[in-house]
Parts: sequence; C-alpha cells; structure tokens
Amino acid sequence: MPFALLASTFATVFLAELGDKTQLAIVTISGTSTRPGAVFAGSSAALVLASLLGAAAGGSLSAVIPTNALQLAASVGFLVIGVRLIQRSSSPEAEESSAD
Amino acid sequence: MSSEPDPNASRAGSWGAAFLTTFTTVFLAELGDKTQLAALLLSAQSGRPVVVFVGASLALISSSLVGVLLGRWLAKVMPPQQLERLAGILMVALGLWLGRQAVLGLVPSPSDLPLS
Repeated sequence: MPFALLASTFATVFLAELGDKTQLAIVTISGTSTRPGAVFAGSSAALVLASLLGAAAGGSLSAVIPTNALQLAASVGFLVIGVRLIQRSSSPEAEESSAD
Repeated sequence: MSSEPDPNASRAGSWGAAFLTTFTTVFLAELGDKTQLAALLLSAQSGRPVVVFVGASLALISSSLVGVLLGRWLAKVMPPQQLERLAGILMVALGLWLGRQAVLGLVPSPSDLPLS
C-alpha cells in the first residue's frame, strides 16, 4: 500500500471537501438533527458512494449521469430542508414537525 | 457516537428518516459536483485506483465527521431556535447557489465551458 499516494489523495480530497457545500450541509443538518449518528452514516455513505461512482465511471461520468440535473435536484433538496428549518424555527413548539 | 438522552421525544425523527434525508441530499450534491470528481479522476490515473479510492473514502468520512461534530458543537453553544433559523437560511442560500450553478450549466452559455 503506497503510503505516499494514499496520503496525498487523502489530503487532496479532505481539503477539497473542507468548507465545500456538502460539508456545510452536513454541519447544518447535524446541528439541527436529533440523530447525529444517522447524519454521519448518511453523509459518509453518500460521499463514498458518489466518489466510487465517479471513479468507476472514469472520465465519462458527465456523459453517463446528467450532473446538472442532479445538482438541480440537490438544490431543491437543500431548499426544502432550509425552508422547513426556517418554518420550524419561527413556529416554536406550536406544530410538531418531526425533526429528521 | 453515543446519542445523548433525547430531551424532547416528540421532536425525535426516526433514525431512518435522518439517514435517508442526509444520504439523498449529500449524494445528489456530491455526484453533481464536477470539481471534486475531477480531482479524484486525476489521481485515479495513477494506476492505483484502489489506493486512491481508500484515501478518498477515508478523507470523505473524516470530513463528514468534522461536519457532524461541528454541527453538534453549534447545537450546544447556540440557542436551538437561533441555530435552526440560521441553518435554514444557510441551506436556502446553498440551494439557490447550487440551483444557479445547475441552471447555468444547463443553459449553453456562449462563452467557453464555465469552470464551476
């Protein structure tokens, strides 16, 4: 196991992710969730699977998967979570929506 | 990660819902992210894809852990309502920013490929 390659990949990806929008989302979701363990499991699985797909698809990922459409779907997901958080913060304990 | 006793049971979403919401959101966002994958592909051409994948996975898991721990710390230091409002605004901002990028990507801009 060539440690140099492992370390350089780790550093590159870790720094690339630091402050990346997905990490900001993870901070937000875990900060407002009562299930941090689930948030950690969900985000780790998603990140690893996405990079596995990326690596497996090689150069042709964007040809295989419409990345722009995916980003649009992701943005809708972010908006839904954001709006629900804002609603929940403005109506304190009035209506109990389950905190996921 | 021992989950601290849940102060308000009615607010506790199920484990599955939290997992699924996080998984789908992060997965969609990450898969659509061209920059991160490009970095990965470059190093994948090193002929040792397994090593690259292990390195990348460890990095991704560590960065998730950093994100979750940061979130938990915020939850401790900030009043819950304020954190929720701030978090909501941040997520909406992220959503708009991502949406804008996606739309820009979908609309063929006359200039060359916008390097997002």
